[in-house]
Amino acid sequence: MAGKNCVAIAGDTRFGVRNQTVALDSNRIFKINNRTLFGMTGLNTDILTLRESFKFQMNLYNLEEEREISPKTFAHNVAQTLYSKRFGPYFITPIIAGLEGEDYTPFLCATDLIGAMEFPKSFVVAGTGEESLMGVCETFYKENMEPDELFEVVSQCLLAAVDRDALSGWGSVVHVLTKDGITTKRLRTRKD
Amino acid sequence: MFTLGSVLDNELKSTVEDFSFETNFSTNQLMLPNIEKPFEFAQSIIGLEKDLQENENQLMFHQQKKEERKERALIKGYKGTTTLAFIYEKGTVIAVDSRATSGQYIASQSVQKVVPINSYMLGTLAGGAADCQFFLAHLGRICNLYELRNNETISVAAASKLLNNILYSYRNYGLSVGSMICGYDTRGPQLYYIDSDGSRLKNSLFSVGSGSPFAYGVLDAGYRWDLSKEEALDLGRRAICAATFKDSYSGGTIKVYHIDENGWVKISDDDASELWYEYEKKEKKEKK
Repeated sequence: MAGKNCVAIAGDTRFGVRNQTVALDSNRIFKINNRTLFGMTGLNTDILTLRESFKFQMNLYNLEEEREISPKTFAHNVAQTLYSKRFGPYFITPIIAGLEGEDYTPFLCATDLIGAMEFPKSFVVAGTGEESLMGVCETFYKENMEPDELFEVVSQCLLAAVDRDALSGWGSVVHVLTKDGITTKRLRTRKD
Repeated sequence: MFTLGSVLDNELKSTVEDFSFETNFSTNQLMLPNIEKPFEFAQSIIGLEKDLQENENQLMFHQQKKEERKERALIKGYKGTTTLAFIYEKGTVIAVDSRATSGQYIASQSVQKVVPINSYMLGTLAGGAADCQFFLAHLGRICNLYELRNNETISVAAASKLLNNILYSYRNYGLSVGSMICGYDTRGPQLYYIDSDGSRLKNSLFSVGSGSPFAYGVLDAGYRWDLSKEEALDLGRRAICAATFKDSYSGGTIKVYHIDENGWVKISDDDASELWYEYEKKEKKEKK
């Protein structure tokens, strides 16, 4: 979700196989650089593979360009990587959140599994509980939120949506990205 | 002015057609739609998982038909649950969760999965909520009539057999009932598992539902016949808590009941997630 010169990205940390919960600490939100956060939902093996793949590509970019990648360029990179597997796709739904440019304008991007990009101004959602999330975010979102308020709103949206989805929960993490850095907090969710 | 007898008779006739207790327990029929092939219609609106072998010849056709039926299913059951019951020296313990899911959507966190049949018998609800609720309430009515006519309390074995016969007559109609009839009678604590497939099983412990494998793990490890009352209640509660933690389709609140010679009593009603955090805290304290 986007606020005033800040973005927040939150997700649960459950790893499960159909109805059984296997792990409570699978992290799916990764830091690309100080300006970009990248989250994925979907098939766990593809999430792990793509995490390594993008880490490799970003390291190479840093060496060649001698600068940090901007969130918008990274989003396009993600879309291109996903489309390269158009006929045998990675089963993930990525979300990119970052602060763009000198004046730290918030940038949000969501793509589908083959790289169709969407740049909404307010919030992006993904995962098994995305319909609940969409509803709750739509209700509680307002423009130009300060970082503290943004953290509150994002946390409450996640908790509410996750409590209505049987396959989400069992721990969650919220990252708030401002020009001063990233604050990470873990929320106490329901463990049933 | 009404006499008691005529009021009772009127009520009976208006609720269940052709009710005749003395002759045959399974003649009380549910109304079927007044069309040419009621059985096929019943199957089509329910989206039956199991198929009748005589209708399907080729595998492809079989798969197609099953998919079609599932799509057209108007009655989508709320599945996903964990219920357990076990008998021990001093009585019967029943523990249930309270979540109902429709696919992955959590429809409710506050479903009553234990239905009282009479003051010393309880039935649990798993599978189709409407089916279980109706048939357990119906069983309650039959048991009450038995007691009035015979001037003695009905045994759990007889009550479960009555329900079993009724459900057997509705086999293949798409009912979904996975109920446990638990009680205390002259033979001591009793526990029967009744299925909509027509099975009736007697054992000292059962767990039913999507979370049952996880509950069995805890239950089998801690079960003994000579448990004390507190130990038994704690065992039931822990088993359901483990199941709500591991199984995504179980959760909500954990309700524990106890049945002894004085009848049934509701012991506790705790939030599943809070209970899990409490158990974690206790373990950490013990480790220190």
